[in-house]
Amino acid sequence: MSEFLRAYLTVAVFGLAAGLLVAAMLGLGKLVQPSRPSRQKRINYESGVDPVGAGFGQSQVRYYIFALLFVMFDVEAVFIFPWAIGLESFGVFGLIEMAIFIVILALGLVYAWRKGVLRWA
Amino acid sequence: MLHLLAQAEPFRSPTVDFHAFAPEIVLSVSIVVVLLVDLVFDERGKWATSSIAGIGLLAALVPVLTLAVDGADRSLFDGAYVVDNFALVMKALFLLSGYVTILISARYIAEGDYYEGEYYFMLLCSLLGMLVMGSARDLISIFVALELLSIPAYLLAGWRKRDLRGNEASLKYYLLGVFAAAVMLYGMSLIFGVTGSTILTEIGAALDGGEAPAPIVVVGILFIVIGFAFKVSAVPFHTWAPDTYEGAPTPITAYLSVASKAAGFVALLQLVFIGFLGRSDVWGPLFWVLAAITMTVGNLIALRQTNIVRMLAYSSVAQAGFMLAPFAVAGDIDVDRGGPLAAIPPVVTYLLIYAAMNLGAFAVVMVVARKTRSGELSSYGGLFEYAPGLAVLMTVFIFALAGIPPLGGWLAKFVVFRALLDAGTPAAIVLAVIAAVNSVISLFYYASVAREMWMRPVPDGDRAPIRIPASLGSALALAAAFTLLFGVSNVATRFGDLAIFGFLP
Amino acid sequence: MDSFDDYALTAAVFLPLAGAIAMLLVPRDAEGTHKLLALATSVATLGVGGYLLANFDYDRAGDMQFGIDKPWIEVINSRYIVGIDGISLPLLILSMAIVVLVILYSWTHFPEPHNPKAFLILILILEAGMNGTFVAQDLILFFVFFEVVLLPMYFMIGVWGGENRQYAAIKFFLFTLFGSALMILSFLALFFLVQEANGGEGTFAIPDLIRLASDNITRDTQLLIFGGMFMGFAIKVPMFPFHTWLPDAHTQAPTQGSVILAAILLKLGTYGFIRIAIPILPDAAVEWAPWIGGLAVIGIIYGALGCLAQSDMKRLIAFSSVAHMGYVMLGIATLTDFGLNAAVFGMVAHGLITGMLFFVAGSVKERFHTLELARLGGLLKQAPRMGWILGFCAMASLGLPGLAGFWGEFPAILAAYNPAEGLSEELFRGYMVVAAIGTVFAAGYLLWMLQRAAFGEPKAEWDAVRISDMHWNEYAAWVPLLVFIVVLGVYPNLIFGLTDDAVRTAVSALGR
Repeated sequence: MSEFLRAYLTVAVFGLAAGLLVAAMLGLGKLVQPSRPSRQKRINYESGVDPVGAGFGQSQVRYYIFALLFVMFDVEAVFIFPWAIGLESFGVFGLIEMAIFIVILALGLVYAWRKGVLRWA
Repeated sequence: MLHLLAQAEPFRSPTVDFHAFAPEIVLSVSIVVVLLVDLVFDERGKWATSSIAGIGLLAALVPVLTLAVDGADRSLFDGAYVVDNFALVMKALFLLSGYVTILISARYIAEGDYYEGEYYFMLLCSLLGMLVMGSARDLISIFVALELLSIPAYLLAGWRKRDLRGNEASLKYYLLGVFAAAVMLYGMSLIFGVTGSTILTEIGAALDGGEAPAPIVVVGILFIVIGFAFKVSAVPFHTWAPDTYEGAPTPITAYLSVASKAAGFVALLQLVFIGFLGRSDVWGPLFWVLAAITMTVGNLIALRQTNIVRMLAYSSVAQAGFMLAPFAVAGDIDVDRGGPLAAIPPVVTYLLIYAAMNLGAFAVVMVVARKTRSGELSSYGGLFEYAPGLAVLMTVFIFALAGIPPLGGWLAKFVVFRALLDAGTPAAIVLAVIAAVNSVISLFYYASVAREMWMRPVPDGDRAPIRIPASLGSALALAAAFTLLFGVSNVATRFGDLAIFGFLP
Repeated sequence: MDSFDDYALTAAVFLPLAGAIAMLLVPRDAEGTHKLLALATSVATLGVGGYLLANFDYDRAGDMQFGIDKPWIEVINSRYIVGIDGISLPLLILSMAIVVLVILYSWTHFPEPHNPKAFLILILILEAGMNGTFVAQDLILFFVFFEVVLLPMYFMIGVWGGENRQYAAIKFFLFTLFGSALMILSFLALFFLVQEANGGEGTFAIPDLIRLASDNITRDTQLLIFGGMFMGFAIKVPMFPFHTWLPDAHTQAPTQGSVILAAILLKLGTYGFIRIAIPILPDAAVEWAPWIGGLAVIGIIYGALGCLAQSDMKRLIAFSSVAHMGYVMLGIATLTDFGLNAAVFGMVAHGLITGMLFFVAGSVKERFHTLELARLGGLLKQAPRMGWILGFCAMASLGLPGLAGFWGEFPAILAAYNPAEGLSEELFRGYMVVAAIGTVFAAGYLLWMLQRAAFGEPKAEWDAVRISDMHWNEYAAWVPLLVFIVVLGVYPNLIFGLTDDAVRTAVSALGR
């Protein structure tokens, strides 16, 4: 077996161990716990509040656009943080690069704004 | 994590060769301009977006030409991004076919109930991805380019958003495209795993040594090729193509069947002939099977089509089979006849010629649909009687696709046959015979279009002539001129021969 | 431009195309302009032909003349090589002349759906393709021109043809294309197999291939390559059993299409044998010749029997073409200079005579709207001049001495008595006997056709119909053909003198 595959063997052993651990814990619980089912206990857990309405609920489409915008800018921030740490070494080159990056991002924001995405009403 | 950062060498800002990047930069600027014009001027500026997009593409062609005149091969970012003759020829092809796409889009988009500014924005973004693809010589660059060219295309395919078939087109294309990308990415990770590099030349050197474990290499190559087989719609990964082609706006269909397919082939050429050059034992048989069944199945299904767009879709599947054929035999070509790399010029030549004739055919489909509002083959009845010019042009394109001299397509098929016989192995000769039989079969459905136009009566007796808008007219003229030029001169083969890689393992 | 000689052949090929392009620019309603333009173009092309005739060096008829050799598609080392010798010249002139006559005939005879612009443009494109095929000396160039004639003919049959035109058109197209596919594979195989001998680079030039091919290719491969070419050419000729497209195409084609098809297109196949297949691969030709000869005589008998079974005049003439081309192929199969001379003469004679017969059939159809022999009869009474011409053509076609047809058939039969070295004498003498019997059949079916169409009393159904005799443009188109049928019949040396040297060059490879 090659070195490459041997590395995966470790992963497999770990996976196996994890599976065994979970099975052991659940199995042990099943053995020792008392079981008294009732209707109350079978309700879906939703932060302690009783659930209302059907399981298939619809929400406004604006949520999605907002969520998309949020995710986009959130992810872009992930690029900016490490850049900020190394800014000193990147120098002017890094500054310009990031400026271009942010301008392109801003264009996206301007587009969203012009298209009225940012208005709720 | 931190100790990794500490280990890293101090940052040196890379020297960027702006001339080498000029086409991409020009195109990026025009993308921004299109977006801004659309945003700032709103309704008043819509009409300008198509012109700006077209001018932007032509402007991006200028640096391509200056780079070609300059002639030096340039390698950036440790060989991840290369500007060589191959890249330049393909970039010129992408830009020109993008330009023709815009020409045939202009009226269609302006007259329909579609987003206009965004359309060109998306189209240009996709083309930018193609330009990057032409130069990408690194697994990651290739993947980024592929996504950049694909994601806008998924949206464009569904541009007729109120049409259910448009939605189907987009969704199918998207789902299968993403699936293919995932498969390909998995293959890439395997190849990276065994070679330790993402740069194609280094991968090529590592794989050629033969030290990499065979099963993983085989699976990796297989997955990558399958990923791109989706992109070029090779059988059995073609199932999205007809539905997408039919549902998408016709200009986008033309674009997908020409530019997007060409981009897939560019990636394949780069991967196979740089990265996997030494492993023709792995990909040769794979391409043989793909080529043989792609041309056969594509042709056989095309025979049964009654809608001209679907017919052209299946015909483009079959044509892809011809383009795959040189790959299949590349490993068997003698070194004194150019070795495996001798299989590249036929593919490039084929792509060039195919672009001209297929774009032309779709342009005619668009003009005719403006009058008949139909893509059914029967709506072409009697076209020759009331629009003889269009009928002649369509005849030229259709028979060029069929490969009848002296129209362009014969030379494309001819160079493929030549490559096959050049290899000369029994497998290659069998493939040549399959290809020959297929080119005869294809004539049936191509001729059926001619038969409708020339020999059938006008279906509803409506003989009103067809007006051709200027933009469509110039697209037709361009495509026809190139189709004829390619057929009687050595222009296409010249460019095919020119398109060589500057850096090999 | 140092002298017109260098460009004469190029002009012969591309003048018709230039005319066609000019006509494209003229609006469709200007029918008179179209006719004049087409006629002027074809006459100018014929004028180039006259120039060629006048300046051809008849003492060197075996050599290529008016040749030029320019790079074309370098990647595949295909060059623009054109040139003519004594074999090409008569066929080239025939092609130019027939086109002029066809255009003259068309003047008032446009078949439905009319549209002279498209019809005449197609004829001119056809002419470009035919002339090009006869002058090309490079296999790829030859192939391209060989295919160029396909599309115009396809449309001519499919648009202007009879009731079953679409079927006939696609059948014609597919048969020919199938042959072409095999032919181009053969050409490619030649290209690669002489690569080494030609200094590392393949070649498509016919003279180079003649020099190199037979010594550098193994015998078995030669046989295969010849087989590929055989399919391409034999379908075009057409030889039995690949002839089935011909009766359909002829019956459905408009008169002009039939005339061009019979007079010239069929010759492209036989010309291919003489120009390409035999000189390049003489050894394979010797192996194949008995089979070709056999198929040829089967074609002669089969065509004749087919004629006797026809009730339609045009279909009958079509089947007679199969028989006549059988004689041509028999002449070729003997591989002697005598046989090849006969074959070239047969090609020209068949072009003149069968072209003429289709003209007459077209005019008859136009007047009676039918070619059912059962309904015809008494043409000599209704339109005496046309009737006599039909009789004259039938005589010429059956090979009456003194008319052109005789010199195509008789020497071919005679040549089979003494075939080339390496061929079985007994076998070919057997063929000779069969072919001779074929001439009797030919007399039978042609006279039978003449009797039923021209003799006797006109049928009652035509009593009320006024049948006009010849029109001026029928005279204009037919008289030159009739004159040449007689002239060549009386003085065959016009052709033989031209072809003899060239044919000797073509078969010289056999002796090696």
